[in-house]
Amino acid sequence: MGASNATVVSLTEREITADLIEGCRRGEREPFRALYDAYKDKVYSICLYYFHGDRAAAADATQQVFLKLMTTIGQFRGTADFSTWLYRLVANTCLDGARRAKAREARLAKEVVLDTLPGGASQEQDLVRAQRARLVQEALSGLPPNFRLAILLRYFDDLSYEEMARVLRCSMGTVASRLNRAQKLLASKLEVLRNS
Amino acid sequence: MMFRKHQPPADDPMRDLPLVKAPESVWASIEAALNAGEQPRAARALGFRWWQPAVAFLVILIAAAVYWTSTRFNRRWEVVRLEGAPSIGLQRLGGTGLIAEGQWLETDGSSKAEIRVGAIGTVQVDANSRVRLVAARSAEHRLALARGRIRASVTAPPRLFFVDTSSSTAVDLGCAYTMDVDDAGNGQMHVTLGWVSLEWHGIESLVPAGASCRTRARLGPGAPFFDDAADSFKQALNEIDSGMRGTDALETVLRSARVRDTLTLWHLLLRVEAGDRRRVYDRMVALMPLPSGVSPDKALQLDRETLKHWREELAWKW
Repeated sequence: MGASNATVVSLTEREITADLIEGCRRGEREPFRALYDAYKDKVYSICLYYFHGDRAAAADATQQVFLKLMTTIGQFRGTADFSTWLYRLVANTCLDGARRAKAREARLAKEVVLDTLPGGASQEQDLVRAQRARLVQEALSGLPPNFRLAILLRYFDDLSYEEMARVLRCSMGTVASRLNRAQKLLASKLEVLRNS
Repeated sequence: MMFRKHQPPADDPMRDLPLVKAPESVWASIEAALNAGEQPRAARALGFRWWQPAVAFLVILIAAAVYWTSTRFNRRWEVVRLEGAPSIGLQRLGGTGLIAEGQWLETDGSSKAEIRVGAIGTVQVDANSRVRLVAARSAEHRLALARGRIRASVTAPPRLFFVDTSSSTAVDLGCAYTMDVDDAGNGQMHVTLGWVSLEWHGIESLVPAGASCRTRARLGPGAPFFDDAADSFKQALNEIDSGMRGTDALETVLRSARVRDTLTLWHLLLRVEAGDRRRVYDRMVALMPLPSGVSPDKALQLDRETLKHWREELAWKW
Protein backbone atom coordinates (compact mmCIF):
# COMPACT_ATOMS: atom_id res chain seq x y z
CA MET A 1 0.00 0.00 0.00
CA GLY A 2 2.94 2.32 0.36
CA ALA A 3 3.10 3.22 -3.28
CA SER A 4 -0.64 3.68 -3.42
CA ASN A 5 -0.61 6.03 -0.44
CA ALA A 6 1.87 8.28 -2.18
CA THR A 7 -0.40 8.77 -5.18
CA VAL A 8 -3.58 9.71 -3.39
CA VAL A 9 -3.17 13.39 -4.19
CA SER A 10 -3.16 14.76 -7.75
CA LEU A 11 -2.94 11.43 -9.49
CA THR A 12 -2.76 11.56 -13.26
CA GLU A 13 -3.93 8.90 -15.69
CA ARG A 14 -0.37 7.83 -16.40
CA GLU A 15 0.17 7.09 -12.72
CA ILE A 16 -2.67 4.63 -12.53
CA THR A 17 -0.77 1.44 -12.17
CA ALA A 18 -1.59 -2.20 -11.91
CA ASP A 19 -0.78 -1.98 -8.19
CA LEU A 20 -3.45 0.66 -7.68
CA ILE A 21 -6.09 -1.34 -9.50
CA GLU A 22 -4.99 -4.44 -7.64
CA GLY A 23 -5.49 -2.52 -4.38
CA CYS A 24 -9.02 -1.67 -5.48
CA ARG A 25 -9.70 -5.32 -6.24
CA ARG A 26 -8.69 -6.18 -2.69
CA GLY A 27 -11.27 -3.66 -1.47
CA GLU A 28 -8.73 -1.16 -0.12
CA ARG A 29 -10.14 2.29 0.36
CA GLU A 30 -7.16 4.51 -0.47
CA PRO A 31 -6.42 3.22 -3.98
CA PHE A 32 -10.11 3.56 -4.74
CA ARG A 33 -10.11 7.14 -3.43
CA ALA A 34 -7.07 7.83 -5.60
CA LEU A 35 -8.89 6.61 -8.70
CA TYR A 36 -11.92 8.62 -7.70
CA ASP A 37 -9.87 11.80 -7.20
CA ALA A 38 -8.18 11.35 -10.57
CA TYR A 39 -11.40 11.07 -12.55
CA LYS A 40 -14.22 12.55 -10.48
CA ASP A 41 -14.25 16.03 -12.02
CA LYS A 42 -14.17 14.75 -15.61
CA VAL A 43 -16.87 12.18 -14.90
CA TYR A 44 -19.02 14.73 -13.05
CA SER A 45 -18.60 17.34 -15.80
CA ILE A 46 -19.57 14.89 -18.54
CA CYS A 47 -22.64 13.84 -16.54
CA LEU A 48 -23.52 17.45 -15.66
CA TYR A 49 -23.50 18.64 -19.25
CA TYR A 50 -25.09 15.42 -20.47
CA PHE A 51 -28.00 15.89 -18.04
CA HIS A 52 -28.58 19.52 -19.14
CA GLY A 53 -26.91 21.09 -16.10
CA ASP A 54 -28.96 19.10 -13.55
CA ARG A 55 -26.53 18.88 -10.63
CA ALA A 56 -28.57 16.31 -8.71
CA ALA A 57 -28.72 13.97 -11.74
CA ALA A 58 -24.98 14.48 -12.36
CA ALA A 59 -24.13 13.70 -8.74
CA ASP A 60 -26.33 10.57 -8.83
CA ALA A 61 -24.76 9.39 -12.08
CA THR A 62 -21.20 10.04 -10.84
CA GLN A 63 -21.93 8.06 -7.72
CA GLN A 64 -23.39 5.20 -9.76
CA VAL A 65 -20.35 5.14 -12.04
CA PHE A 66 -17.91 4.78 -9.16
CA LEU A 67 -20.07 2.26 -7.32
CA LYS A 68 -20.23 0.20 -10.52
CA LEU A 69 -16.48 0.62 -10.89
CA MET A 70 -15.93 -0.64 -7.37
CA THR A 71 -18.16 -3.67 -7.75
CA THR A 72 -16.89 -4.68 -11.17
CA ILE A 73 -13.22 -3.78 -11.05
CA GLY A 74 -12.43 -7.48 -10.81
CA GLN A 75 -13.50 -7.74 -14.44
CA PHE A 76 -10.94 -5.19 -15.61
CA ARG A 77 -8.11 -7.22 -17.12
CA GLY A 78 -5.85 -4.43 -18.29
CA THR A 79 -6.21 -5.30 -21.97
CA ALA A 80 -7.67 -1.85 -22.61
CA ASP A 81 -6.81 1.49 -21.02
CA PHE A 82 -8.39 1.97 -17.64
CA SER A 83 -9.94 5.24 -18.80
CA THR A 84 -11.66 3.50 -21.74
CA TRP A 85 -13.16 1.01 -19.34
CA LEU A 86 -14.25 3.76 -16.94
CA TYR A 87 -15.84 5.87 -19.69
CA ARG A 88 -17.82 2.86 -20.85
CA LEU A 89 -19.38 2.84 -17.38
CA VAL A 90 -20.00 6.59 -17.75
CA ALA A 91 -21.63 6.14 -21.16
CA ASN A 92 -23.87 3.30 -19.94
CA THR A 93 -24.91 5.27 -16.87
CA CYS A 94 -25.68 8.40 -18.86
CA LEU A 95 -27.68 6.56 -21.52
CA ASP A 96 -29.61 4.57 -18.88
CA GLY A 97 -30.25 7.72 -16.88
CA ALA A 98 -31.42 9.56 -19.97
CA ARG A 99 -33.98 6.87 -20.74
CA ARG A 100 -35.39 7.15 -17.22
CA ALA A 101 -35.32 10.94 -17.14
CA LYS A 102 -36.48 11.62 -20.67
CA ALA A 103 -39.63 13.34 -19.51
CA ARG A 104 -37.63 15.85 -17.50
CA GLU A 105 -35.27 16.86 -20.28
CA ALA A 106 -37.33 19.65 -21.75
CA ARG A 107 -37.68 21.36 -18.39
CA LEU A 108 -34.08 20.85 -17.32
CA ALA A 109 -32.75 22.35 -20.51
CA LYS A 110 -34.01 25.65 -19.19
CA GLU A 111 -32.39 25.15 -15.78
CA VAL A 112 -28.76 25.14 -16.80
CA VAL A 113 -26.38 25.78 -13.93
CA LEU A 114 -22.86 27.05 -14.32
CA ASP A 115 -21.65 28.44 -11.02
CA THR A 116 -18.10 27.18 -10.88
CA LEU A 117 -16.32 29.13 -13.56
CA PRO A 118 -12.77 29.87 -12.44
CA GLY A 119 -12.26 33.55 -11.62
CA GLY A 120 -10.76 35.73 -14.32
CA ALA A 121 -8.96 39.04 -14.11
CA SER A 122 -12.19 41.04 -13.99
CA GLN A 123 -15.87 40.56 -13.45
CA GLU A 124 -16.51 41.69 -17.02
CA GLN A 125 -14.35 38.88 -18.35
CA ASP A 126 -16.10 36.43 -16.03
CA LEU A 127 -19.45 37.60 -17.31
CA VAL A 128 -18.47 37.19 -20.95
CA ARG A 129 -17.09 33.71 -20.29
CA ALA A 130 -20.17 32.71 -18.34
CA GLN A 131 -22.45 33.90 -21.14
CA ARG A 132 -20.45 31.98 -23.72
CA ALA A 133 -20.53 28.85 -21.56
CA ARG A 134 -24.28 29.20 -21.05
CA LEU A 135 -24.87 29.40 -24.79
CA VAL A 136 -22.72 26.34 -25.47
CA GLN A 137 -24.47 24.41 -22.73
CA GLU A 138 -27.88 25.34 -24.08
CA ALA A 139 -26.85 24.35 -27.61
CA LEU A 140 -25.38 21.09 -26.31
CA SER A 141 -28.65 20.31 -24.53
CA GLY A 142 -30.40 20.35 -27.89
CA LEU A 143 -28.21 17.59 -29.38
CA PRO A 144 -29.46 13.97 -29.50
CA PRO A 145 -28.08 11.90 -26.55
CA ASN A 146 -25.60 9.89 -28.66
CA PHE A 147 -24.16 13.02 -30.24
CA ARG A 148 -24.01 14.80 -26.90
CA LEU A 149 -22.19 11.93 -25.26
CA ALA A 150 -19.70 11.60 -28.12
CA ILE A 151 -18.81 15.25 -28.09
CA LEU A 152 -18.46 15.35 -24.29
CA LEU A 153 -16.20 12.28 -24.21
CA ARG A 154 -14.07 13.74 -26.96
CA TYR A 155 -13.80 17.12 -25.27
CA PHE A 156 -13.22 16.13 -21.64
CA ASP A 157 -10.74 13.32 -22.23
CA ASP A 158 -9.65 13.66 -25.84
CA LEU A 159 -10.24 9.97 -26.53
CA SER A 160 -9.07 8.57 -29.85
CA TYR A 161 -11.57 7.18 -32.38
CA GLU A 162 -10.59 3.67 -31.37
CA GLU A 163 -11.06 4.40 -27.66
CA MET A 164 -14.39 6.09 -28.29
CA ALA A 165 -15.52 3.18 -30.43
CA ARG A 166 -14.84 0.84 -27.50
CA VAL A 167 -16.61 3.14 -25.07
CA LEU A 168 -19.67 3.65 -27.26
CA ARG A 169 -19.66 0.08 -28.64
CA CYS A 170 -19.77 1.14 -32.26
CA SER A 171 -17.39 1.32 -35.20
CA MET A 172 -14.72 3.99 -35.62
CA GLY A 173 -16.55 5.15 -38.72
CA THR A 174 -19.69 5.69 -36.67
CA VAL A 175 -17.68 7.63 -34.10
CA ALA A 176 -16.20 9.87 -36.78
CA SER A 177 -19.60 10.43 -38.34
CA ARG A 178 -21.24 11.21 -35.01
CA LEU A 179 -18.55 13.68 -34.01
CA ASN A 180 -18.67 15.41 -37.35
CA ARG A 181 -22.44 15.71 -37.36
CA ALA A 182 -22.52 16.68 -33.67
CA GLN A 183 -20.08 19.53 -34.28
CA LYS A 184 -22.04 20.83 -37.24
CA LEU A 185 -25.31 20.62 -35.31
CA LEU A 186 -23.75 22.34 -32.29
CA ALA A 187 -22.41 25.14 -34.47
CA SER A 188 -25.78 25.69 -36.14
CA LYS A 189 -27.64 25.70 -32.80
CA LEU A 190 -25.12 28.17 -31.40
CA GLU A 191 -25.64 30.40 -34.38
CA VAL A 192 -29.40 30.39 -33.79
CA LEU A 193 -28.96 31.12 -30.07
CA ARG A 194 -26.50 33.93 -30.69
CA ASN A 195 -28.87 35.56 -33.14
CA SER A 196 -31.95 35.18 -30.95
CA MET B 1 -7.20 5.07 -38.73
CA MET B 2 -5.94 3.27 -35.63
CA PHE B 3 -5.31 5.53 -32.63
CA ARG B 4 -6.06 8.63 -34.67
CA LYS B 5 -7.20 11.50 -32.47
CA HIS B 6 -10.22 13.46 -33.53
CA GLN B 7 -9.24 16.95 -34.63
CA PRO B 8 -11.71 19.53 -33.31
CA PRO B 9 -11.92 22.85 -35.16
CA ALA B 10 -9.61 25.58 -33.89
CA ASP B 11 -12.61 27.63 -32.77
CA ASP B 12 -14.21 24.65 -31.02
CA PRO B 13 -17.06 26.15 -28.93
CA MET B 14 -16.68 23.33 -26.40
CA ARG B 15 -13.58 25.13 -25.14
CA ASP B 16 -16.00 27.55 -23.47
CA LEU B 17 -17.35 24.82 -21.19
CA PRO B 18 -15.46 24.69 -17.89
CA LEU B 19 -14.51 21.52 -16.04
CA VAL B 20 -16.80 21.45 -13.01
CA LYS B 21 -15.60 20.06 -9.70
CA ALA B 22 -17.59 17.12 -8.36
CA PRO B 23 -19.30 18.05 -5.07
CA GLU B 24 -17.99 16.47 -1.88
CA SER B 25 -21.40 14.92 -1.28
CA VAL B 26 -20.72 12.40 -4.08
CA TRP B 27 -17.79 10.87 -2.24
CA ALA B 28 -19.82 10.91 0.99
CA SER B 29 -22.53 8.81 -0.70
CA ILE B 30 -19.94 6.39 -2.07
CA GLU B 31 -18.35 6.09 1.36
CA ALA B 32 -21.75 5.31 2.83
CA ALA B 33 -22.04 2.41 0.39
CA LEU B 34 -18.49 1.32 1.17
CA ASN B 35 -19.22 1.39 4.88
CA ALA B 36 -22.36 -0.63 4.27
CA GLY B 37 -20.20 -3.47 3.04
CA GLU B 38 -19.91 -2.78 -0.68
CA GLN B 39 -16.81 -4.64 -1.89
CA PRO B 40 -15.26 -5.33 -5.27
CA ARG B 41 -16.41 -8.50 -6.96
CA ALA B 42 -13.80 -11.17 -7.60
CA ALA B 43 -12.24 -11.25 -11.05
CA ARG B 44 -13.79 -13.64 -13.55
CA ALA B 45 -10.43 -15.34 -13.81
CA LEU B 46 -11.39 -17.16 -10.63
CA GLY B 47 -14.21 -18.83 -12.51
CA PHE B 48 -17.93 -18.37 -12.70
CA ARG B 49 -19.91 -19.24 -9.61
CA TRP B 50 -23.66 -19.72 -9.82
CA TRP B 51 -24.19 -17.54 -6.76
CA GLN B 52 -22.24 -14.55 -8.11
CA PRO B 53 -25.18 -12.89 -9.88
CA ALA B 54 -27.29 -13.30 -6.73
CA VAL B 55 -24.56 -11.75 -4.56
CA ALA B 56 -24.04 -8.92 -7.04
CA PHE B 57 -27.77 -8.29 -7.08
CA LEU B 58 -27.81 -8.28 -3.27
CA VAL B 59 -24.87 -5.87 -3.09
CA ILE B 60 -26.53 -3.50 -5.57
CA LEU B 61 -29.77 -3.83 -3.63
CA ILE B 62 -27.98 -2.91 -0.38
CA ALA B 63 -26.20 0.02 -2.04
CA ALA B 64 -29.46 1.22 -3.53
CA ALA B 65 -31.18 0.83 -0.16
CA VAL B 66 -28.39 2.78 1.60
CA TYR B 67 -28.55 5.47 -1.02
CA TRP B 68 -32.33 5.59 -0.97
CA THR B 69 -32.33 5.77 2.83
CA SER B 70 -29.71 8.49 2.98
CA THR B 71 -31.33 10.63 0.31
CA ARG B 72 -35.01 10.05 0.96
CA PHE B 73 -35.36 9.45 4.67
CA ASN B 74 -32.42 11.05 6.44
CA ARG B 75 -32.65 14.20 4.36
CA ARG B 76 -36.05 15.53 5.19
CA TRP B 77 -37.36 18.75 6.67
CA GLU B 78 -40.45 19.30 8.76
CA VAL B 79 -43.36 21.16 7.16
CA VAL B 80 -46.17 22.76 9.16
CA ARG B 81 -49.55 23.64 7.69
CA LEU B 82 -50.42 27.27 8.42
CA GLU B 83 -53.64 27.67 6.43
CA GLY B 84 -55.78 25.61 4.05
CA ALA B 85 -54.52 22.31 2.67
CA PRO B 86 -51.03 22.46 1.21
CA SER B 87 -49.69 19.26 -0.35
CA ILE B 88 -46.36 17.45 -0.46
CA GLY B 89 -46.27 15.38 -3.62
CA LEU B 90 -49.72 13.85 -3.84
CA GLN B 91 -50.31 13.92 -0.07
CA ARG B 92 -52.46 16.60 1.54
CA LEU B 93 -50.79 18.04 4.63
CA GLY B 94 -53.00 17.84 7.71
CA GLY B 95 -50.97 19.34 10.54
CA THR B 96 -47.28 18.62 10.15
CA GLY B 97 -45.40 16.46 7.69
CA LEU B 98 -41.99 15.83 6.19
CA ILE B 99 -40.61 16.85 2.82
CA ALA B 100 -37.78 14.79 1.33
CA GLU B 101 -35.17 15.75 -1.24
CA GLY B 102 -36.78 15.87 -4.67
CA GLN B 103 -40.32 16.39 -3.38
CA TRP B 104 -42.52 19.38 -4.15
CA LEU B 105 -44.55 21.40 -1.67
CA GLU B 106 -47.49 23.13 -3.30
CA THR B 107 -50.02 25.60 -1.96
CA ASP B 108 -53.26 26.63 -3.62
CA GLY B 109 -55.02 29.98 -3.43
CA SER B 110 -56.11 29.45 0.16
CA SER B 111 -53.22 27.60 1.76
CA LYS B 112 -49.90 28.42 3.37
CA ALA B 113 -47.16 26.31 4.95
CA GLU B 114 -43.92 26.71 6.83
CA ILE B 115 -40.78 24.69 6.15
CA ARG B 116 -38.30 24.20 8.98
CA VAL B 117 -34.96 24.52 7.24
CA GLY B 118 -33.02 21.97 9.28
CA ALA B 119 -31.84 23.79 12.39
CA ILE B 120 -30.98 27.07 10.68
CA GLY B 121 -34.27 28.79 9.96
CA THR B 122 -37.74 28.77 8.48
CA VAL B 123 -39.33 29.44 5.10
CA GLN B 124 -42.97 30.45 4.89
CA VAL B 125 -44.55 29.37 1.62
CA ASP B 126 -47.42 31.68 0.67
CA ALA B 127 -50.51 30.88 -1.38
CA ASN B 128 -50.24 29.70 -5.01
CA SER B 129 -46.64 28.64 -4.63
CA ARG B 130 -44.62 25.62 -5.69
CA VAL B 131 -41.36 24.78 -3.90
CA ARG B 132 -39.02 21.81 -4.25
CA LEU B 133 -36.55 20.56 -1.65
CA VAL B 134 -33.33 20.14 -3.63
CA ALA B 135 -30.77 19.40 -0.90
CA ALA B 136 -31.09 18.95 2.85
CA ARG B 137 -27.50 18.47 3.95
CA SER B 138 -25.48 20.09 6.69
CA ALA B 139 -23.35 22.00 4.17
CA GLU B 140 -26.11 22.72 1.66
CA HIS B 141 -29.72 23.66 2.41
CA ARG B 142 -31.31 24.26 -0.98
CA LEU B 143 -34.84 24.91 -2.21
CA ALA B 144 -36.13 25.63 -5.70
CA LEU B 145 -38.98 28.11 -6.08
CA ALA B 146 -40.89 27.41 -9.30
CA ARG B 147 -43.57 30.02 -8.67
CA GLY B 148 -45.21 32.01 -5.90
CA ARG B 149 -43.77 33.69 -2.83
CA ILE B 150 -41.57 32.57 0.04
CA ARG B 151 -40.49 34.42 3.19
CA ALA B 152 -37.16 33.09 4.40
CA SER B 153 -35.57 33.74 7.76
CA VAL B 154 -32.19 32.13 8.33
CA THR B 155 -29.70 32.34 11.17
CA ALA B 156 -26.58 30.58 9.97
CA PRO B 157 -23.10 31.25 8.62
CA PRO B 158 -23.17 32.61 5.05
CA ARG B 159 -23.59 30.31 2.05
CA LEU B 160 -25.48 27.51 3.72
CA PHE B 161 -28.98 28.29 2.46
CA PHE B 162 -29.85 28.65 -1.25
CA VAL B 163 -33.04 29.22 -3.20
CA ASP B 164 -32.92 28.45 -6.93
CA THR B 165 -35.32 30.05 -9.38
CA SER B 166 -35.18 29.93 -13.16
CA SER B 167 -33.61 33.39 -13.19
CA SER B 168 -31.29 33.38 -10.15
CA THR B 169 -29.95 31.58 -7.12
CA ALA B 170 -30.42 33.45 -3.83
CA VAL B 171 -27.45 32.79 -1.59
CA ASP B 172 -28.08 33.57 2.05
CA LEU B 173 -25.45 35.69 3.75
CA GLY B 174 -27.32 35.67 7.13
CA CYS B 175 -30.65 37.29 6.51
CA ALA B 176 -34.42 37.48 6.14
CA TYR B 177 -36.09 38.13 2.82
CA THR B 178 -39.13 37.59 0.64
CA MET B 179 -38.90 36.31 -2.90
CA ASP B 180 -41.59 36.29 -5.60
CA VAL B 181 -41.49 34.41 -8.88
CA ASP B 182 -44.20 34.40 -11.54
CA ASP B 183 -45.01 31.65 -14.01
CA ALA B 184 -42.74 33.23 -16.63
CA GLY B 185 -39.74 32.99 -14.27
CA ASN B 186 -39.55 36.73 -13.53
CA GLY B 187 -39.33 37.73 -9.90
CA GLN B 188 -38.38 40.18 -7.21
CA MET B 189 -36.54 39.85 -3.92
CA HIS B 190 -36.91 42.16 -0.96
CA VAL B 191 -34.41 41.87 1.90
CA THR B 192 -35.53 42.80 5.42
CA LEU B 193 -32.45 41.75 7.39
CA GLY B 194 -28.78 41.15 6.55
CA TRP B 195 -27.57 40.49 3.00
CA VAL B 196 -28.48 38.21 0.12
CA SER B 197 -26.41 37.49 -2.96
CA LEU B 198 -28.39 36.83 -6.13
CA GLU B 199 -26.26 34.84 -8.57
CA TRP B 200 -26.83 33.68 -12.13
CA HIS B 201 -24.28 32.61 -14.74
CA GLY B 202 -21.49 34.84 -13.46
CA ILE B 203 -23.74 37.80 -12.64
CA GLU B 204 -23.94 38.67 -8.95
CA SER B 205 -26.19 41.22 -7.22
CA LEU B 206 -25.61 41.93 -3.54
CA VAL B 207 -28.82 43.01 -1.84
CA PRO B 208 -28.72 44.54 1.67
CA ALA B 209 -31.60 45.07 4.11
CA GLY B 210 -34.04 47.70 2.88
CA ALA B 211 -33.26 46.98 -0.75
CA SER B 212 -34.90 44.93 -3.49
CA CYS B 213 -33.76 43.36 -6.73
CA ARG B 214 -35.71 42.23 -9.78
CA THR B 215 -34.85 39.03 -11.62
CA ARG B 216 -35.80 38.24 -15.18
CA ALA B 217 -35.98 35.00 -17.08
CA ARG B 218 -32.94 34.60 -19.39
CA LEU B 219 -31.44 37.88 -18.08
CA GLY B 220 -30.84 37.04 -14.42
CA PRO B 221 -30.79 39.51 -11.54
CA GLY B 222 -30.85 43.23 -12.22
CA ALA B 223 -29.10 45.88 -10.14
CA PRO B 224 -30.38 46.13 -6.55
CA PHE B 225 -32.06 49.33 -5.39
CA PHE B 226 -33.20 50.78 -2.09
CA ASP B 227 -36.97 50.80 -1.62
CA ASP B 228 -36.94 54.47 -0.63
CA ALA B 229 -35.29 55.54 -3.90
CA ALA B 230 -37.21 57.97 -6.12
CA ASP B 231 -39.90 56.39 -8.30
CA SER B 232 -38.27 57.86 -11.41
CA PHE B 233 -35.00 56.20 -10.37
CA LYS B 234 -36.66 52.81 -9.94
CA GLN B 235 -38.60 53.11 -13.21
CA ALA B 236 -35.49 54.03 -15.18
CA LEU B 237 -33.53 51.20 -13.55
CA ASN B 238 -36.29 48.80 -14.55
CA GLU B 239 -35.79 49.82 -18.17
CA ILE B 240 -32.02 49.33 -17.94
CA ASP B 241 -32.45 45.91 -16.26
CA SER B 242 -34.89 44.89 -19.00
CA GLY B 243 -32.14 45.32 -21.54
CA MET B 244 -33.37 48.65 -22.91
CA ARG B 245 -30.16 50.52 -23.47
CA GLY B 246 -31.66 53.97 -23.79
CA THR B 247 -29.44 56.87 -22.76
CA ASP B 248 -32.41 58.60 -21.14
CA ALA B 249 -32.91 55.84 -18.58
CA LEU B 250 -29.27 55.91 -17.51
CA GLU B 251 -29.36 59.69 -17.39
CA THR B 252 -32.43 59.58 -15.10
CA VAL B 253 -30.78 57.05 -12.80
CA LEU B 254 -27.60 59.08 -12.53
CA ARG B 255 -29.40 62.39 -12.03
CA SER B 256 -31.76 61.14 -9.30
CA ALA B 257 -29.22 58.99 -7.44
CA ARG B 258 -28.52 59.76 -3.77
CA VAL B 259 -25.44 58.76 -1.80
CA ARG B 260 -26.94 55.43 -0.72
CA ASP B 261 -27.97 54.74 -4.31
CA THR B 262 -24.29 54.11 -5.00
CA LEU B 263 -25.43 50.55 -4.21
CA THR B 264 -27.19 50.56 -7.57
CA LEU B 265 -24.50 52.53 -9.37
CA TRP B 266 -21.75 50.16 -8.18
CA HIS B 267 -23.64 47.27 -9.77
CA LEU B 268 -24.37 49.27 -12.93
CA LEU B 269 -20.67 50.03 -13.32
CA LEU B 270 -20.17 46.33 -14.08
CA ARG B 271 -23.09 46.09 -16.47
CA VAL B 272 -23.32 49.21 -18.62
CA GLU B 273 -21.61 49.43 -21.99
CA ALA B 274 -17.97 50.48 -21.83
CA GLY B 275 -18.90 53.88 -23.23
CA ASP B 276 -21.27 54.62 -20.33
CA ARG B 277 -18.99 53.30 -17.60
CA ARG B 278 -17.17 56.60 -17.20
CA ARG B 279 -20.48 58.46 -16.66
CA VAL B 280 -21.50 56.07 -13.90
CA TYR B 281 -18.06 56.32 -12.31
CA ASP B 282 -18.11 60.14 -12.40
CA ARG B 283 -21.52 60.26 -10.72
CA MET B 284 -20.40 57.83 -8.01
CA VAL B 285 -17.31 59.89 -7.26
CA ALA B 286 -19.41 63.07 -7.19
CA LEU B 287 -21.74 61.49 -4.64
CA MET B 288 -18.98 60.06 -2.50
CA PRO B 289 -15.25 60.76 -2.99
CA LEU B 290 -13.13 57.83 -4.05
CA PRO B 291 -11.69 56.18 -0.91
CA SER B 292 -7.95 55.84 -0.48
CA GLY B 293 -6.59 52.68 -2.00
CA VAL B 294 -9.01 52.74 -4.95
CA SER B 295 -7.28 53.62 -8.19
CA PRO B 296 -9.56 55.33 -10.77
CA ASP B 297 -7.88 53.45 -13.62
CA LYS B 298 -8.28 50.08 -11.96
CA ALA B 299 -11.88 50.86 -11.03
CA LEU B 300 -12.67 51.71 -14.65
CA GLN B 301 -10.90 48.54 -15.79
CA LEU B 302 -13.25 46.65 -13.40
CA ASP B 303 -10.36 45.14 -11.48
CA ARG B 304 -11.94 42.64 -9.13
CA GLU B 305 -10.01 43.54 -5.95
CA THR B 306 -10.37 47.28 -6.52
CA LEU B 307 -14.13 47.02 -6.97
CA LYS B 308 -14.42 44.84 -3.91
CA HIS B 309 -12.49 47.36 -1.78
CA TRP B 310 -14.55 50.25 -3.15
CA ARG B 311 -17.79 48.40 -2.43
CA GLU B 312 -16.72 47.73 1.15
CA GLU B 313 -16.08 51.44 1.66
CA LEU B 314 -19.35 52.48 -0.01
CA ALA B 315 -21.31 50.00 2.08
CA TRP B 316 -20.87 52.23 5.15
CA LYS B 317 -23.46 54.52 3.53
CA TRP B 318 -25.86 51.76 2.40
